[in-house]
Amino acid sequence: MPSLTQSNIGGPPPVHPELPPGGGGGDGDGGRGSGGGSTRAASMTAIIVVMCASFMTFGAFLSAMVIRRGLSNDWHKFALPRILWYNTIVLILSSIAIEAARRMLKRGRRSYFTPLWTIATVLGTLFLIGQFTAWNQLAAQGVFLVGNPSSAFFHVMTWAHAAHVVGALLAVIYVEFLALKYELGTRGRTWVDASSLFWHFLDVLWLGIMALFVFWA
Amino acid sequence: MKLPLTHHRTVARLYFWLSLGSVILGVLLSLVMRFHLVYPSKAVGLFQLLWPRGAQGGVMTPELYLSLLTLHGTVMVFFVLTLAPMNAFGNLMLPRQLGAAHMAFPRLNLISFLITLVSFGLLLASVLTEDGGPLSGWTAYPPLSALGAIAGPGQGLGQTLWFFSIGVFCIGALLSSVNVVATVIEMRSPTMPLMAMPIASWNWFITAILSLLSFPVLLAAGMLILLDRLAGTSFFVPAGLMIADYKSPHMGGSPLLWQHLFWFFGHPEVYIAILPGMGIVTTVISAFSGRAIFGRRAMIFATIAIALLGMLVWGHHMFTSGLNPWSAIAFSILTLAIGVPSAVKTFNWLATLWLARGELRLTTPMLFAVGFVSIFVTGGLSGLFLGQPELDAYFHDTYFVVAHFHIIMGIAALFGIFAATFYWFPFLFGKVLNETLGKIHFYLTFVLAYATFLPMHFAGFAGTPRRYADFTSFDFLTPILPLQKGITHAAFALAAVQLLFIGNLIWTLWRGAAAAENPWQTNADNGEAY
Ligand code: HEM
Ligand SMILES: [Cu+2]
Repeated sequence: MPSLTQSNIGGPPPVHPELPPGGGGGDGDGGRGSGGGSTRAASMTAIIVVMCASFMTFGAFLSAMVIRRGLSNDWHKFALPRILWYNTIVLILSSIAIEAARRMLKRGRRSYFTPLWTIATVLGTLFLIGQFTAWNQLAAQGVFLVGNPSSAFFHVMTWAHAAHVVGALLAVIYVEFLALKYELGTRGRTWVDASSLFWHFLDVLWLGIMALFVFWA
Repeated sequence: MKLPLTHHRTVARLYFWLSLGSVILGVLLSLVMRFHLVYPSKAVGLFQLLWPRGAQGGVMTPELYLSLLTLHGTVMVFFVLTLAPMNAFGNLMLPRQLGAAHMAFPRLNLISFLITLVSFGLLLASVLTEDGGPLSGWTAYPPLSALGAIAGPGQGLGQTLWFFSIGVFCIGALLSSVNVVATVIEMRSPTMPLMAMPIASWNWFITAILSLLSFPVLLAAGMLILLDRLAGTSFFVPAGLMIADYKSPHMGGSPLLWQHLFWFFGHPEVYIAILPGMGIVTTVISAFSGRAIFGRRAMIFATIAIALLGMLVWGHHMFTSGLNPWSAIAFSILTLAIGVPSAVKTFNWLATLWLARGELRLTTPMLFAVGFVSIFVTGGLSGLFLGQPELDAYFHDTYFVVAHFHIIMGIAALFGIFAATFYWFPFLFGKVLNETLGKIHFYLTFVLAYATFLPMHFAGFAGTPRRYADFTSFDFLTPILPLQKGITHAAFALAAVQLLFIGNLIWTLWRGAAAAENPWQTNADNGEAY
């Protein structure tokens, strides 16, 4: 097989020949040695794009909810269990902790990082446990997925949110491991920035869901 | 040199083979369907062999027909038109056009493909269930698709697997789009500003953004309908629905809700299928005209305008489903407005061809590119009819719509894929497809495609309904039965002609000589040539 170079068909692309090709690539594998900066930039762009896609998913749930409520008369509000408020506080605190950890690392105060990140991880886990408790309490009140569209949307949205939290938590725990092994290199720091950004996103998303069910649904 | 599995060209090849397998499956299904439509009561031994339950004695049941139709539509829309132009050729050329060594996330790229493969497996599983495949078409409208086995054979496990397949497909499409966007934004050569990016890359970029905005909505809708099916919620099923003696326990859902969510995805999806093809056609026309594309900036802005408007017109699929007439007017105006950027693009292609009229080189890829322009205009014109609620009241769910979308989405997008396959084959496999065979293939395909799909407009005028399994048993359709038979014959001929392409492909891969340096002899400085 001939070597398939740029110039094989129709000449070189309109890029400056002396400069190295752009970007370094993410995934953690291709990145090493080919300019960590670009890996990082690509990863941060990717996480922002993922956030947009998640946002669209929840936007779809929301518009489905608006239409479903408008089209029928079987909508019943139900009382939110109090634990949801505690969960909200826990999630906000974990966001603060994760942000503090990230900033400490950036300022070079590495020794503060691990404890703060650990607090965030624990609070994140606590949030998930709290969500399970909330679903159980609702079930005890007789509020299930099935039966009433309001509670159906509540379950769908909180499940979808929790699924996102599980994913983010896995990343956060991975960073925790890296931190404990003192292996927070360039790549690890990208993980720190990306996962904390996503964590804030989930925090804001949760506030939106809470507001929705407190004030409207 | 053996390339790693995560190399963008390897991933491109994987997508290419998956699409090729899918299109062969889709075409074979369509032949069976076309045969059944005009000879519904003829017993065929092969049918009995393939579907012992659905075609007892070799005569197909209407349900079997519908399940084949569903598989055909799903395979074509998702696994051919979405994957080949965007994932196969996007992966192949995007890093190269950007001056990047690889995609932003090579491993994620391979993972996206594997996820798509799982989705394909689930789709195949859905038709291999005991009851046969689902019946509700690629649009899967509830209540039929939401009620489970009571709604018909294949509506149980088969339909459930179908929704899982589509859900998994959404995830694969989303991940690969994340990759494309990150690659375009972060991996471009430092000397290439966005506006200097080749048009094809622009179109892959915009397509990825469209995917990111629309697939999440399909994913969400799919989750809701799966809950309706599996958990007993009522998002999409209205209260008091009776099927034979069975009263559905669902309360207060709305089938229209599904239509809104589905078409919010579905209309952008048709542009996901066509925009990469437009980029390919732009590249090829520019290359074989030996000049830069006319109105480069206008081309880019037209693509952006099409994408933006494309997000706002989903209601034109719902004119007849009790949409508020005021919103119908709004959707109609927005829909017709898409004609403007589409016309800009068409004008720029024609202007490029006109300006280069002495120097045009009608190679196979160029023929397919010019054919694309012709087909795109034909299909766009029927869109202008459908985009008006008063006319759509008649045309909706008739063969006029079938003609419209096969021409503009099926044939136009396929011509884009063919143009790319011939033009970039040296990059894909290091060889050049046979030109003579390619040209014969093009001319026959062009004529037979029109022969197959143009008469469908007339079937639509005559009121032939879409998704019926049999045209012979209705008095009002018997006068146009000869037309339908003609379409079936044309379709068989069209499929047969594709063997030329398959033969070309196999022969070139097996025996073809290695591609020379610059096999198309394109000139280097027209900016779009590679
Ligand atoms: C000026 C351009 C266009 C206009 C005004 C237009 C308008 C329409 C309308 C109003 C319908 C709904 C008809 C009905 O169901 O009663 C429709 C269906 C459809 N259009 Fe277009 N269209 C245009 C371009 C395109 C393009 C570029 C594509 C694809 C690449 C496309 C693909 C489809 C498909 C697949 C359907 C059928 C969907 C289904 O029901 O399964 N259209 N079009
Ligand atoms: Cu549409």
